[in-house]
Amino acid sequence: MRTGPVSAMKPSRRSLRCCVFFNRLRASAANCPGHDGGTVAGSGGFAKLYAMSATAAPRTAQKGETGTPVVRFTSVNKSFGQVRAVSELHLQLHPGETVALLGPNGAGKSTTLDLLLGLRNADSGTVEVFGSTPARAIAKGKVGAMLQSGGLMEEVKVRELVKLACDLHPRAYPPQQVMESAGVTDIADRMVNKLSGGQEQRVRFALATTGANDLIILDEPTTGMDVTVRQAFWATMREQAAADRTILFATHYLEEADAIADRVIVLHRGRILADGSAAEIKAKAGARRIVFDLEGPIDEAALRGLPSLTTLSVSGRTVRIQSIDADATTHALYGLGLYPRNLEVSGLGLEQAFIAITDAATAEEATR
Amino acid sequence: MKTLVRLEITRTMRNKRFMFFSVIYPAALFLLIAGPAKNTARIGGTGLTTPLYYMVAMASFGALTAVLMGNSERIAKERAKGWVRQLRLTSLPGRGYVIAKIASAATVTLPAILVVEIVAASVKGVRLDAWQWGALTLSIWAGSFVFAALGVAIGYIASGDAVRPLTMLIYFALSILGGLWMPFTIFPNWLQNIAKWLPTHAYTALGQAIEVGHAPHLTDITLLTGYLVIFTGGAAWFYRKDTRKA
Repeated sequence: MRTGPVSAMKPSRRSLRCCVFFNRLRASAANCPGHDGGTVAGSGGFAKLYAMSATAAPRTAQKGETGTPVVRFTSVNKSFGQVRAVSELHLQLHPGETVALLGPNGAGKSTTLDLLLGLRNADSGTVEVFGSTPARAIAKGKVGAMLQSGGLMEEVKVRELVKLACDLHPRAYPPQQVMESAGVTDIADRMVNKLSGGQEQRVRFALATTGANDLIILDEPTTGMDVTVRQAFWATMREQAAADRTILFATHYLEEADAIADRVIVLHRGRILADGSAAEIKAKAGARRIVFDLEGPIDEAALRGLPSLTTLSVSGRTVRIQSIDADATTHALYGLGLYPRNLEVSGLGLEQAFIAITDAATAEEATR
Repeated sequence: MKTLVRLEITRTMRNKRFMFFSVIYPAALFLLIAGPAKNTARIGGTGLTTPLYYMVAMASFGALTAVLMGNSERIAKERAKGWVRQLRLTSLPGRGYVIAKIASAATVTLPAILVVEIVAASVKGVRLDAWQWGALTLSIWAGSFVFAALGVAIGYIASGDAVRPLTMLIYFALSILGGLWMPFTIFPNWLQNIAKWLPTHAYTALGQAIEVGHAPHLTDITLLTGYLVIFTGGAAWFYRKDTRKA
């Protein structure tokens, strides 16, 4: 049961919409030719929005924490022989959050999801879903899941399989509606074992959304989907998120985490390396690199005062800056009356941030 | 759960090759073994004629083959493909899964049993009272549920390459020791003492009791019911507890 008061849910939903809106805005801003010109109003407004979104996520989490967490992992350990798949994992998901689980292969993503769904048992620690065991939450129809390893029943038609899933769900939608929203109406009469990989993935998606699930778990959901289907998939997921559902998805596509999630958890060797908004993760690694040359004496203190700056290094005439918001930083740079030459801004995406974080952790482990 | 049962049955019926061989196979074996024997030749110790004895034996054996082999291998395959993992994310209780599998197995065994009986009556001149035909069909059919549940359990105990050898081992042990291939009475005493506790022995004993005009023995029914409960419970438990990635 979700016990949190309704008022506690509302801000999280609003901030989620804001986040989705913000991402769209960011995308459109990047494509906008006017923005490239760097008009003062556009750039400044953008920087402010960026800064707001970076602080929005922790606030959301605090609001959510007043209710019962949707998922709670407490000191969870899981080993397979000598390999520690999950190590002392503490994790809480709050109502209405859309959370991306990122990590290289073997980071423990699938094991974490398996533990969450009760498909595996933890060696030690507790896993709670809606305040009870995973099995009980599933029996109540609170959890929908799309697994990478989840197979489909063979020798049946897609329509029959969806109908079965709907009949098994305590709070199911009509099968027709499920098939429409998952985009499988056109293949409803095909046999499941004759489907292509992308079509199978759509059927899995249909099975994960047969009813009013409060928690949706997706393990690399868009693998094998083409671009159109992928977009439709995330559009449906946004609808689910807007309806205050909690979504947890593991992905390899970092741009998806960046665009969809309002919280990103980076998992590496069974541990959480970073947990925050996509902007915070990028900030942690320094999301953009700005390199330029300056003529004459360099005032390091003034440079250090630039907004959104995370690191600064000066060698000779060359200045290297890492910034979570290159727009704001460069804008302020010109504002200092400086004339940077050979200016280069390399767009460090979540991917580089992610690599930077996991590499740092690997190096740290190696030196230990 | 009803939908799953219905879907499993539909699925089995669609698998025409499996249906065909499972239905034809026991009747063919019956003709092979009992065919050359005289219609009136008696089998020592049972008081039954050869055709009568093998009618029950082959109907039971055919049912056993279809449900044990069919279920265990298909289930191991479904586990490997991950369908069972997906199914476990629904509110379906463990027994629902096992019941659906028993139901799908039962759709194969009923026609197989009927074909053996028809062949025995028309080719080997087996004559029984109407109640005997009815009771015989029903008891062999219902008895096959026990082995369908066992098949589900085996599909869970073993995975991948281990399924077939394990199924074969259990299948031959049960068939031979239970007296499905040759009369139970040819075994030495000590073996008979062990074998009489096997579900297959009780299974054929049901049919044989009906053939000689008695009601099936209560001990046999109790024994089979006990096995059914154990196998179904075990299979349902394995379904719920299966945490291995097949």
